[in-house]
Amino acid sequence: MKKILTFFVLIVALPCLGITQQIYNGRVTDSITGEPIVSASITLLNTGKGAISDSAGQFSIQGNPGDQLSVSSIGYSGATLRLGDQTTLRVLLHGAAGNLDEVVIIGYGTARRSQVVGSVAKVDGKEIAQRPVLSAAQAIQGKVPGVQITSSGAPGSQPQVRVRGVGSVLGDANPIYVVDGVITDDITNINNNDIASVQVLKDASAQAIYGSRAGKGVVIIATKGGQSGKMRLSFNAYTGFKTPTSTVKMADASTYAAFTNAARAYDGVAPAFDLDSIGATTNWFDEITHKGLIQNYGLNISGGSEKVTYYFGGSVFKDQGIIPGQDYTRAAFRINNEYKVAPFFKLGNNLNISVNNMNNKPTEFDDAYRMAPTVPVRFADGSYGYTDLLNVGNPVAKLDLTHDRSNQLRLQGNVFAELKPVDGLTLRSSFNFDYHNHNQKVYVPQYFIWSSMKNDISSLTQNNDNSFYYIIDNNATYNKTFGGLHEINATLGYSAERKRDNDWMGSIQNVPADPSRWYLHQGENNVNASSGGAVLTRASAYSRVIYTYDRKYIFNGSLRRDGSSSFPTENQYGTFYSVGGAWVISEENFMKDQQVFNSLKLRAGYGKVGNDITISNLRILNELSLPDKFYDFGGPDNAPQMGQTFDEIKDAAVSWETTKGTDIGLEFALLQNRLSGDISYYNKVTSAYIPVTVPSTFGDKDKIVYSQAADVRNKGVEFDLNWQASAGKDFKYHLGFNMTFNTNVVDHVDGTLQLKGGSLGNGEIVTYTVEGQPIGSFWVLQTDGIYKSQEQIDQSAHIQGAQPGDFKYVDQDQNGLIDDKDRIFAGSYQPKFYYGINGGFNWKNLDFSFDLYGNSGNKIYNGKKAVRLGNDQIEADRVRDMWSVDNPGGTQPRASNAIPKPSTYFVESGNFLRVNNITLGYTIPNTDRWHIQSLRVFASADNPLIWKKYSGYTPELPGDALNSGIELKIYPVTATYMLGVNVGF
Amino acid sequence: MQKNITMKKFLFITIISVSAVLLYSSCSKGYLNPTPQNTVQQNDSIYTDPKGALKFLTAGYINLLQWNESSFSWLGLTSITSDDADKGSDPGDLGGDKDQMDAITYSATTGSVAEGWTGNYNGVSNCNQAILNIGLYANLSPDTKARYIAEAKFLRAYYYFNLVRMFGDVPLVDTVLNSENTDDVVKASTRVPQADIYAFIEKDLNEAVSVLPTNDAQPASERGHATKGAAAGLLAKVSLYEKKWQQAFDLSQGIMQGKYGTYGLVDDYSTIWREIGENSKESLFEIQSRIGVPDAGVQQYTAVQGIRAATFKKVGVSGTVSAYSGWGFNVPSEDLDKAYEPGDKRKKATIIHIGDTLFDGVIVASAANPRYNYKAYVSVFDETYDGDGDNTNKNVRLLRMGDIVLINAEAANESGNSAQAVSSLNLIRKRAGLAPTTATGQAGLRTAIWKERRVELAMECDRFFDLIRQGRAAEVLTALGKKFTKGKNEHFPVPQVEIDATDGKLTQNPGYN
Repeated sequence: MKKILTFFVLIVALPCLGITQQIYNGRVTDSITGEPIVSASITLLNTGKGAISDSAGQFSIQGNPGDQLSVSSIGYSGATLRLGDQTTLRVLLHGAAGNLDEVVIIGYGTARRSQVVGSVAKVDGKEIAQRPVLSAAQAIQGKVPGVQITSSGAPGSQPQVRVRGVGSVLGDANPIYVVDGVITDDITNINNNDIASVQVLKDASAQAIYGSRAGKGVVIIATKGGQSGKMRLSFNAYTGFKTPTSTVKMADASTYAAFTNAARAYDGVAPAFDLDSIGATTNWFDEITHKGLIQNYGLNISGGSEKVTYYFGGSVFKDQGIIPGQDYTRAAFRINNEYKVAPFFKLGNNLNISVNNMNNKPTEFDDAYRMAPTVPVRFADGSYGYTDLLNVGNPVAKLDLTHDRSNQLRLQGNVFAELKPVDGLTLRSSFNFDYHNHNQKVYVPQYFIWSSMKNDISSLTQNNDNSFYYIIDNNATYNKTFGGLHEINATLGYSAERKRDNDWMGSIQNVPADPSRWYLHQGENNVNASSGGAVLTRASAYSRVIYTYDRKYIFNGSLRRDGSSSFPTENQYGTFYSVGGAWVISEENFMKDQQVFNSLKLRAGYGKVGNDITISNLRILNELSLPDKFYDFGGPDNAPQMGQTFDEIKDAAVSWETTKGTDIGLEFALLQNRLSGDISYYNKVTSAYIPVTVPSTFGDKDKIVYSQAADVRNKGVEFDLNWQASAGKDFKYHLGFNMTFNTNVVDHVDGTLQLKGGSLGNGEIVTYTVEGQPIGSFWVLQTDGIYKSQEQIDQSAHIQGAQPGDFKYVDQDQNGLIDDKDRIFAGSYQPKFYYGINGGFNWKNLDFSFDLYGNSGNKIYNGKKAVRLGNDQIEADRVRDMWSVDNPGGTQPRASNAIPKPSTYFVESGNFLRVNNITLGYTIPNTDRWHIQSLRVFASADNPLIWKKYSGYTPELPGDALNSGIELKIYPVTATYMLGVNVGF
Repeated sequence: MQKNITMKKFLFITIISVSAVLLYSSCSKGYLNPTPQNTVQQNDSIYTDPKGALKFLTAGYINLLQWNESSFSWLGLTSITSDDADKGSDPGDLGGDKDQMDAITYSATTGSVAEGWTGNYNGVSNCNQAILNIGLYANLSPDTKARYIAEAKFLRAYYYFNLVRMFGDVPLVDTVLNSENTDDVVKASTRVPQADIYAFIEKDLNEAVSVLPTNDAQPASERGHATKGAAAGLLAKVSLYEKKWQQAFDLSQGIMQGKYGTYGLVDDYSTIWREIGENSKESLFEIQSRIGVPDAGVQQYTAVQGIRAATFKKVGVSGTVSAYSGWGFNVPSEDLDKAYEPGDKRKKATIIHIGDTLFDGVIVASAANPRYNYKAYVSVFDETYDGDGDNTNKNVRLLRMGDIVLINAEAANESGNSAQAVSSLNLIRKRAGLAPTTATGQAGLRTAIWKERRVELAMECDRFFDLIRQGRAAEVLTALGKKFTKGKNEHFPVPQVEIDATDGKLTQNPGYN
């Protein structure tokens, strides 16, 4: 192995300058082609301090002779070298992804890949910046096994992330993001170009260092820093447009009219349309969508001296989405600096300022789906079209009449000090903070379209929410190798966190329509004002030991104790831990002579992590509650009287929601590192909070008490395979495939709890969470063809009002009635497996890459189709082979205005495979004459294609665990086509 | 180098000591127990200001405004089920389960049934909290304290009266329950015979009658608080359900004679449910609903019944106008329409027909349904209206003299006093513009009184319970095609969610298993 390493890593010695702290300059190149490797990450292992190679592959870093320097880059096998007297380094990396010496951020520190006992996935910043998306969470979709990303296309939104399945029943099941030490749940403020790398901690042994916050996974985001050396400038820009990826073919006006007349005839109601005088068809989906612009411009400046390094990033991102009138604009500025006060002491800061502006519009996709195609957008006299046949508002009018604007300022970052009193020991103290201030103004004009779409009086609502959050974090890291065999990497620290939330709102009526007068002062009556606030605190102590023997055997143990103000005083503390080990088989002597494996590592770990934020405010048990309503005593001459009572029962025993789990994995690289990858097995159980229903007789307002009364298990296998090779001097290619098989099952639910959910909004619910089924399983009647005659109806159990041409439902319990007892479980939105495929090649100055993402084995409930108000628009397919008296052989149900029963008819396959991104780039040669170091132009298509079975707009439906996978009015994922440029100076 | 070491030492000590201080502060108990914001916890200090006592009482009243108590599900349970009203709205718009209410095919999992149970038990709980907590206010004058507690008991009786009529045997929760206490858990999940519930209601109401002031003694600033007359009137109605004819008679007679305050029939029936008829001498108790800020309206009571998908015109105005509209549920049935005798003024005061010109000049040119409930109509022109269609100014009349006079007639008739029965019945008929009754004999009069009750109290959520009380619900409702099963549908099913929440300890009513 060492032989191989020396083969791939060559350090060419040059005369030394001979002082302790010195600047090492180096160049990283491909061991075969000799091409410079851009954006390689260079890290001093004992400090974690790093640098990034520039477009010429060059870097510089300060270090001491004897320090271990690790160099890694995506698609290359990493290298570790010991700094000596030579200050000019040449590092050759061999193309491969099996990089056991890659530096991985593991939370409160770093480690070599070979030392990591848990499952940690890393995505390089370069890959993230490539996609035209707002947040890094979206950009890692399909790139990391075990991480499922589900997004909507709404501008300004962050996707839903599930790390190895969903365990929490309630609330947000997204992981936490750790951005340079700041723990947050929202990373839409971070410019993707400022990100150096993203690591996902997937199993308990990796997560346990974040103990109480890690129950839903941890995503660590490291932002870029400066490097000593000359100033570097880069400019990145792209611009393009967005368009819907897929649409649903709706009926034309005459088909709709005929269907509606037929449906009404069955109900004995007069026809609504004269079929001879049907006018033009309005395509409502087209009317509420357009090609929106997307733009991003970013400038980075970095550099430094021996004492100071700096990084500045500035960017503007603008996304108009596909709904006219909507837009989202974000400006983000980052300043990451480090100041070396003394060789053993440095100070630094990572600061991010972001401002966003948003023009919100409602998602009218459900109304557009339902609205009659016979209605024009506007009548001949210019007024908005409507029909009194159908209680759906004119979707275009709704967009026009919505005036909802918001803006947000966010300041996030940290300041830190690092002291190295003795060799191997680092003391680090940091203050990490996150402030946000969000303002919104909503004006509802007075309007009258018809009696079901009107607003009698104008109103203005202004609201604000702001918060300040900090973590004070102090830790000590000791990293030293004894006798060349025993390596100790120990961390001990504690942190204190506090979050203060404030909000207020005010509203008033009768405000003039002129936007310059949209202030509360301009209104006339019904002033309403309120405000609220909350404080959340946590205190934690954490520790970790990684012991490595002879680079072969690794032991990892973490222990963390957390206290949270979320819980009653007696239950505030929780202890979280992990233990694990790894065996680097390829370092064994018996592996020396084999030629197949370049590296091989087996790892296993077990741990317990937790979560305290699912339900807020569980600590106060005997809270006085103030009803929302007042009571009118004494008529208009007296102010309404406020009430108070006790109507909230709480579980005095609540404490941490815990997840315990095992992870076993094998990491390998073989065939001269051409093929690399890993395979993991995991099995974890979350003891989840669920809403326990208490009898009304106890007087609890919502009859719900939150208790840990269910166990949810996620287990699965995931693997990641990467192939990388070159053919000839000019052609390099790579191909990657990753896949995750996850089984989600509810192991246990206390008592006779009824965890029903998935409301369609019309009184029907379609999910039920019970033992032995996945969380949020669809729970519906089973259809068994349609009735062809009244005799068939009379001879079987049927729902009231069944007519020939209606669905026959299976009477599962054979009691002669069709009711809830006949419902069956028909799958859930939790996929059986999901996968990513990516690849690309470089040929001379051309580069090409593609990236696919797929999902399989899950179901979707077509909710928008299953909700019918009466006389709604239909899909074009609806009338195909439709049963009628004239078509008695028809297999599809008759025309009907009845509310559909939840049934298997609306449960569709959730399988899809999508092209996430295709990019073709060209690096223009010989740009030096323009004083440009590198210049690349590219064209890219994001989400251009999807293969899906589902008949709706999108199979990607973010939603909480009990209600996920129901398409009602989701903003579909959009396709983006764009052109861009990367310039380096 | 020496300087470096000193500096190193200095920094090291600084960091360690700063860390230690922070560690100490973050591990102290106070750090993890910050003062809760925007909330009050139960402690002795909340009982010092006597105004708090009124707030506890008010919570008992506020429950009357809630969706579960007085709105959609209540209309479904008590009106759409009856022969007076149909579901309404569009055929495909079920309002959750109002089609089941209309057809009487509901089951233990029907949402409206669960809401009816919950709404009233929330009321019971708020009253129990009021009774307990008002008692803890030391600075409250004994008279005020007694009156507040009596009002809470009146409200508790009202909630139990709803529960016993809907479900029959129900758990009797007469104190604040603690979910950790075994006895309380048993109490919360054990149904007691309805006779005991009725006895409890009577006890609460008798206390209220003895303590509460009459409406004459009540200052205008306290209008809306329960009075002696309200308690006596409710007790009269309860007595009717218990077939305690003498008691019902004595109480109703007392009210009519002014023993419990000043009451009487207003002359114009059509004003009773309008804003000008609020808190009139006709009214013994009504839910005070107020539009505006803060929200003090009955949650969407008028919105769910508002005219649906209509085109309005107005006398003297060209073109269409915007008038109060809503979801169009709980619409008067054709059967009710036909139940009025010719010349009965109450018909046009109860039912809006398409084409009608309403009291404010609004003409209903077209709408989704043929009939709407006039008693739930709000005039945007002539009544207080600010554009908020959900929480309007419409007070819900729970108990009024029309009811009391007919209780008097029925109780008199059942006690053999037919002269008094005829006299009371004719008071009602006279106001309606009808000739004196021609009915004779106890049975004949009984039929006449029942029929009069229907049209007098039409769309006032009385009919379904009245039919069951009269023992002819199955007969009347099945004739209209509803699936009313004798021996089963006299009560609603105990909600499955409540049975499940008690681990099956609550029992189900017959026929619903």
